[in-house]
Amino acid sequence: MQGKYKLLLASALSVSCLMLSAANAADVIPGWQNATSDGKDTPTHDPMILYSSGGVDGKMAVIGLPSFRTYRHIDCGVDTHEISFGGSNKGNKNGTPDGKYVYLNDKGANTVCEFNLQTGYLERVIALPFPFGVHHIAMSTDGKSMFATGEYSGKMLKMDIASGKSEVIDWGPAPSAPDYLDATRDGKNVYVGNYYHSTVGVFSTSPFKLVKEIPVGKNPHGTDIIPESTLVLVSDKLSATMTIIDTQKQAVKKVLPTCAGPLHSVMDVYNKDGGSYRAGIDSPDGLTSKYAYESCFVADANVKISLSKLEVVDEIPTHYRTGHISISADNSYVMSLNKFSTGLFSPTGMIFPVNFEMWDAREKSPTYGKTLRIQPVDGEPHNAKSLMAYLVKDWTKGEAENGQLIKGRVDVLDPAHRALSRRYFIPKENTPPGVKVAADGVKEIHMKAFSYGYIPRQVRVNKGDKVRLFATNIDKASGITKNPDVTMGLTIYGPYGQRSNMDLPRGVTAVHEFTADIAGEYEIFCTHFCGPLHLEMRAAFFVDDPKKGPSNLAVGDYAEAQKLPGLLEAGQITVSERVKGL
Amino acid sequence: MKNAKLKIGLIAITSLGMMWGSAFAAEKRCTAGGVKVECPTITEAEAKAASAAFLKEGDNMEKGHGGSTYGIAPFDYLTGVGKRSAVAAEGVKAGTYKTESGYGDQKASLKTELWDRVKAPKSDGVTDKSVYDQWSGNWSPTFGVTLVAGANPTQGKNYYYSYCIACHGWLLHGDGPSASELNPRPRTLTRGEYMQKKSNLELFTVIKGGGEAVSLSSSMPNWGNVLQDQDIWNIIAFIRAMQDVAPPKSVDEYLHPKSTFKPIKGDVDASNAAKSKAFQEAQEIIESDMTGRAPGSELVGGKLVEGGNRTLPTK
Repeated sequence: MQGKYKLLLASALSVSCLMLSAANAADVIPGWQNATSDGKDTPTHDPMILYSSGGVDGKMAVIGLPSFRTYRHIDCGVDTHEISFGGSNKGNKNGTPDGKYVYLNDKGANTVCEFNLQTGYLERVIALPFPFGVHHIAMSTDGKSMFATGEYSGKMLKMDIASGKSEVIDWGPAPSAPDYLDATRDGKNVYVGNYYHSTVGVFSTSPFKLVKEIPVGKNPHGTDIIPESTLVLVSDKLSATMTIIDTQKQAVKKVLPTCAGPLHSVMDVYNKDGGSYRAGIDSPDGLTSKYAYESCFVADANVKISLSKLEVVDEIPTHYRTGHISISADNSYVMSLNKFSTGLFSPTGMIFPVNFEMWDAREKSPTYGKTLRIQPVDGEPHNAKSLMAYLVKDWTKGEAENGQLIKGRVDVLDPAHRALSRRYFIPKENTPPGVKVAADGVKEIHMKAFSYGYIPRQVRVNKGDKVRLFATNIDKASGITKNPDVTMGLTIYGPYGQRSNMDLPRGVTAVHEFTADIAGEYEIFCTHFCGPLHLEMRAAFFVDDPKKGPSNLAVGDYAEAQKLPGLLEAGQITVSERVKGL
Repeated sequence: MKNAKLKIGLIAITSLGMMWGSAFAAEKRCTAGGVKVECPTITEAEAKAASAAFLKEGDNMEKGHGGSTYGIAPFDYLTGVGKRSAVAAEGVKAGTYKTESGYGDQKASLKTELWDRVKAPKSDGVTDKSVYDQWSGNWSPTFGVTLVAGANPTQGKNYYYSYCIACHGWLLHGDGPSASELNPRPRTLTRGEYMQKKSNLELFTVIKGGGEAVSLSSSMPNWGNVLQDQDIWNIIAFIRAMQDVAPPKSVDEYLHPKSTFKPIKGDVDASNAAKSKAFQEAQEIIESDMTGRAPGSELVGGKLVEGGNRTLPTK
């Protein structure tokens, strides 16, 4: 063991200067309670780190694995969604991280946040074009570009990460809602689910265009490619199936009944020798996988799928309503990112926490399939991905001076989170839904949120109007799943993201006051995962400029929106070009 | 036997049935056959009772009562099954997962409903797409015939259960859990004397364009961007298939509802909508007001793809 360890260490140092100790956690952790054999008798060291996109709290959480301790939160913006490590998309959903950057897309602000893994700070906020309405991102194979879905405009985007410039194309006809995506590991294609079309679109990366649409089950959700890049696993949310697409034939290979409300899949990943893949040590090519794990929102379970047999081989109960699903960098643990904690934990306010549940995925472990940790978490995390902790160097002892950590000016961004609006709660009000002008001249918008939608669905105000937005959650319990601790949210994406971003717990009315000073068509969406049709819970906020006429995706102050007043200052933003299709 | 599994569910359905045949709101806001009539809705007391019943199911879930739906409530209308019961039913060996809905008979693995469904796929999904309906079609009504040409009521049921139940209720009586929060209250969609006079075009317009499209309340949101046109037609077919269907007294009644609806002569339907001028004009007006649809901002670069669950039913 000791000899093997030294060998690993030597190879690690030869590959990257970032690595402190090369440890395959699966080899060195005797049990889930870690005691690392890294020369330090410190069970408080975590061999892996989980980066969690915090959703509605607009932050990224940094969590140790397998201790499940939260180390810190780093601010990003309004409502963060997918998380993606810089490096390459090879391997499983954790990618093959190079240890430099991690990216989060902010659905509320229509941006991508770039965090420097080594400094632990937010380094850039890349503004995406308007109108777009980003939902998810996927890293390219060469690590130079990023693909993104425009759920709120029916568009797709390819962004050059270095410059922040992007190419946007339409994916019609309306209604069209590209949601989750993944890129093949040969760099050639992107597979994208579209819940309004109930298809998976195949895009070529160069030129960036739609090649084909493949019909799948009802309202596809996660669209995830296995490390071998041969299969795409599509979670058919309302069909309780997994549609498996063959990437060679670009056609459906098999449809498996899996579970009620399937949402996302992750896979394990192995190197050429059959050991767990180690970023920075093993070649990123020729990686393989054995099992996929799919989250089942309605069934309160994760199912395990053999990728050789293409059948379900196990079902693990979770607590409760799993949304995203994550796997530790060493394949040992599966993290079920649960959206409800009904009956668990102590209340700490009007909003009940969601939770992360870690179960043991090691088949030979005596605790296989059992929950090892379950932890309440802040915000409403959308996805989390992990890397081996050795990829983040210890800079805490002045090493930055020698280690070339800072090579020039590095702007430290601290977004003015939730700025430019006055926000408060009032006792639950029952004014009928609609828009009316109050005595003080303010346009009062009364909106009701229910499983799964808003009434009214469309709101029109004029540019310059002072707006008082009242939003009330009228659910008795969450729609289909009946969880009583249902919290909803209401965020108007884009320039109004940080002004709206409302939490809607049951029993009160949230009120936000702001000025509608930027014209355009901006989608309203739910920021708390309230049920299987949470994504479809949408409405639209039209701000009409009387000089330009009614706003739509072609008419609006989109150049103005691009500047995201209040969130970013000039010079801190990478302005994307508005290109064809807008 | 499959029917036995639905026993407990029927108790829940029948309790809602007490609201059947009650008084409706007095104001004549609705139109049926061109005549102003009182809107068919349940009373405020009934709406409150329905909300309270749903709330109780949620609270039971938190307390760990009632096994689960998939978690908790004893019976789930979407799937027709409960997952597990905290307490074994009478006469069942301890340790088995016999549920309150009756799931877990001699044919079952006594593991979970999920497991049994997964282990007995109905098709490969490639040549036969019926696997996509295995979950939702197993335990709730299915329809062999359609009352709206070109539309599939069974597919419509699936979307109704997802989107419409919160207000219109599981049995279309207008008694969903959110009904008590809305004024005016949602329509009772089973009321034959009213629904028989509503044309398909009127139903399509109000679903696609919302209440405001027919100068009524915005409490009925527009679903035109959430549902494809064919989905809306399927939902209409489901509504037509449930006309005057009273709360079922037996499992057979529940699984095979008998509608009184007679297709209206000359009415537009899914098979001839493309040729109907009145229909096309109405759609243009509705769509021009919807997100992403305004003339001049239409999306390009794709086309409507049939397949998956968007396929037109073959007759």
